[in-house]
Amino acid sequence: MSFSTMLYTMGEGMLRTCAIFILTILFSLPLGLVIMFLRRSRFFIVRTITKFYIAVMRGTPLMLQLLMWYFGPYYLFGMNIRGYRFAAIIIGFSMNYAAYFAEIYRGGMETIPQGQYEAAEVLGYGKAQTFFKIILPQVVKAILPSVTNEIITLVKDTSLAFTLAYNEMFSLAKQIAASQTSFVPFVVAGVFYFVANYAVAFTMEFIEKKFDYYK
Amino acid sequence: MAENLFNKPLIRVENLFKIFGENDTKKPTVNAIDNVSLEINRGDVMVIIGPSGSGKSTFLRSLNLLEQPSSGHIYVNDVDITDKNVDIDKHRQKMGMVFQHFNLFPHLTILRNLTIGPEKLQGRSIKDAEREGMELLERVGLADKARSYPNQLSGGQKQRIAIVRSLAMHPDIMLFDEPTSALDPEMVGEVLEIMKDLARSGMTMVCVTHEMGFAREVGTRILFMENGRVTADGAPDEFFNNPSNPRLRDFLSKVLQ
Repeated sequence: MSFSTMLYTMGEGMLRTCAIFILTILFSLPLGLVIMFLRRSRFFIVRTITKFYIAVMRGTPLMLQLLMWYFGPYYLFGMNIRGYRFAAIIIGFSMNYAAYFAEIYRGGMETIPQGQYEAAEVLGYGKAQTFFKIILPQVVKAILPSVTNEIITLVKDTSLAFTLAYNEMFSLAKQIAASQTSFVPFVVAGVFYFVANYAVAFTMEFIEKKFDYYK
Repeated sequence: MAENLFNKPLIRVENLFKIFGENDTKKPTVNAIDNVSLEINRGDVMVIIGPSGSGKSTFLRSLNLLEQPSSGHIYVNDVDITDKNVDIDKHRQKMGMVFQHFNLFPHLTILRNLTIGPEKLQGRSIKDAEREGMELLERVGLADKARSYPNQLSGGQKQRIAIVRSLAMHPDIMLFDEPTSALDPEMVGEVLEIMKDLARSGMTMVCVTHEMGFAREVGTRILFMENGRVTADGAPDEFFNNPSNPRLRDFLSKVLQ
């Protein structure tokens, strides 16, 4: 196998890896917001259920969760869903990352002084307006470094999709390395992850600068 | 009709109670506001004084329901704002409030702090809101700070901005919750000056403060609170020169020295 053929094959895997990454970000960032609100609910039962959910998501391996999402419907309900593999991966990643993001958001919310809510309230802002116009922009600034951490972890975690025999980039790298008895695919994979995360860090630093409205 | 409106009190408080710890059986209950009834007329500059823990701030904060009263009624322009069906947000737009710790929005420029309310809540054009915002900034001598952010300002400057942020909403009344207590001594004067100007311009004001000079100079009515009750209420002259209440005499002797 020539180097270019190998790159071409792995390139397809990179697209799949990117698909997992982008879709997970797309779903887990807003879902995390919802979970954060449930976690802060004034109803004890809602808070408790959400806490338990977060505990499970953080307390068990993502690999195990992926298997649960994929095989669960069959073993629990006897359901046989066709073409469910990719959906199961996205659900598994999104539900897991949303739990982490929820806790990051919650930490950000705690940094906002009560006075900010009161100042918005006395101007006549409703609850939703206060949150989106006054609180959220400040929360985003506070949590950017933690979110960057989480996103970088996600880039590397995409390789866990191999658990469900999904041919993302790292699965292909392992296959090619085994069949060609070559170390090169691993080097290519390493470079890919590193460059991807460099791009993530660069982008996030750019966004952080945008939010740098005071020293 | 217009006369009629002016004769009516702007705010009428009836049998107001605020009891802390009602729902907590482990702690003793505290009557932070203990049966207060009074009227605030247009043009009044009411200054509330009293020892700490006497309920001054709690009373002020219940006027716009930042503190939910335990019982009693608050009428603003004859509308009972303690009624659950009343849109409190609409009323708050007409009741400006200045806090001890300024509470400017750190993620917005000074000018944006002034314009976001009028634009987003009162539907005014951004141009119109900015023009008036700049006028207000000039009025407090901070027009050159329009593009700065709150953290680049001194405490006194921040409080002046907080005052004009409230004014940008065209309030009927301004509430001040110890506006100079968090300031360095040399910055107290600049904030009091703005408040005096405001009082002279006819703004209705309710002000919780320890600045007795201010109370004497521009207050039209002084309230003395202790243990959640209003125990003295009068014009500044008789209030300061001839206090009949022994607790008030004691308090004044301590703060006036």
